Amino acid sequence: MKKIIKPLFSVVVISMLMAFQGGDVLCNSKELKDKAQDALEPYKYDSSELTRITYKKKESVKEVEVPLFIGEKYRIVFEMEALPKQVEVQIYNKDKDSKNRKLLFSSKEMGDKKEFNFEVSKTRHIYIDYVVPPMEEGSYHGCAVFMVGYK
Amino acid sequence: MISKLLAVSCLAITIVLASCNSNPEDQKSQEVLDVVDSTASLTSSVAVTEEHDVSYNLPSALQIAYVFKKSGAGFVPSLLNNKANASRYNTSNYKRATNFGIYSADLAYCLFNKKYQESKEYLKACKETGSFLGLNQAFESDNIAQRFDKNITNEDSVVKIVSNVQLKTDVMFEQNKQKHITVIAFAGAWTESMYIAMEVYLKDKNKKVLGSLMEQLLLSETIIKALKNYNDTEPELKDLIASIEKINAQFNLIASVKVAMEKDEEIDFNSVSITDEELKAIAESVKTLRSSMIN
Repeated sequence: MKKIIKPLFSVVVISMLMAFQGGDVLCNSKELKDKAQDALEPYKYDSSELTRITYKKKESVKEVEVPLFIGEKYRIVFEMEALPKQVEVQIYNKDKDSKNRKLLFSSKEMGDKKEFNFEVSKTRHIYIDYVVPPMEEGSYHGCAVFMVGYK
Repeated sequence: MISKLLAVSCLAITIVLASCNSNPEDQKSQEVLDVVDSTASLTSSVAVTEEHDVSYNLPSALQIAYVFKKSGAGFVPSLLNNKANASRYNTSNYKRATNFGIYSADLAYCLFNKKYQESKEYLKACKETGSFLGLNQAFESDNIAQRFDKNITNEDSVVKIVSNVQLKTDVMFEQNKQKHITVIAFAGAWTESMYIAMEVYLKDKNKKVLGSLMEQLLLSETIIKALKNYNDTEPELKDLIASIEKINAQFNLIASVKVAMEKDEEIDFNSVSITDEELKAIAESVKTLRSSMIN
């Protein structure tokens, strides 16, 4: 009996530990930002933002305001591979509460790409909207990263 | 024997389940904290876990210095915060963060003015204040000091090295769930950059510097909104927000700015007119805020 219980006990405990060790491997900001940095070249790193996204039953929007300086050239790199379901990135010249805002970019043009970039100059602010599609089953989540570079 | 094994099993399962309840990001943060300087005083810090529907991405001190350099702002060494003061700032998260930002701005100002020896000294001041915030690893990995020395006369290379340190500190603050520290540090960097640019403009009266200065003042609104997202994290934030709101209000009172705002137009800061009184009032407010940060 002892001979059976000891190994069985070890297997159960090790299996449980392994099952819970995986954790939220998707939101590894260092790994995501390292990838974004590679795509930023030859622009100089300025700033970056990791946004945690939780899918809800209704479509939702998470917005990041990005101030820029006129006269500078910027590249904005998006790293979306840590998102389990496609989230659309839209870039506007005004925030989501403004009327008559202009859409400058939509990731729809990029198809299913998980990495893409956008270049901009001659504007003082951009507003990055993550349009999160509805998910009936809930509880899914992930991360999106963007990185701003200038030259 | 069996009952003992069952008891141990229950204990193991309880431990596993308890660890399952903790946020995996917290576990990663703990791993990061475990490898940073054990003397870092982070005990009073508040972990910010709340995610906001609207957030703000602030630029780096390097980019602000780059914009001022391009506008022709000269180098006045007496405007820098004394690097020997660094050891005095390990008193609260607010002091650590604002002065980490201030030294970052001083480092960037030296760097873009090709003052390489001073840059090296301010990199040390950043490292020292950074260590109070648990950022040792960001400054010690990849032989940064040696690479900085080796490339000291090559502006592009040293800017790249400092940009990489910036990226590392951004990642570490994020992993440590201390995003609010990044915002407070930026408020420090912005205040120092404004102070330097104001003083340089008052000395040289270079119109291009004034244009850049006005453009940077526009950032005050974004900083206020970003700080308000973390309002309850540090006790000093209320006063910091009030000080920047005052600067923002003085900026919005400039007649040409007011007209452009009312028309919802992009402002051409190279043609903006500002009276000496208006500029003096803003300069005084910036100076007072900076003084409260460094003293």
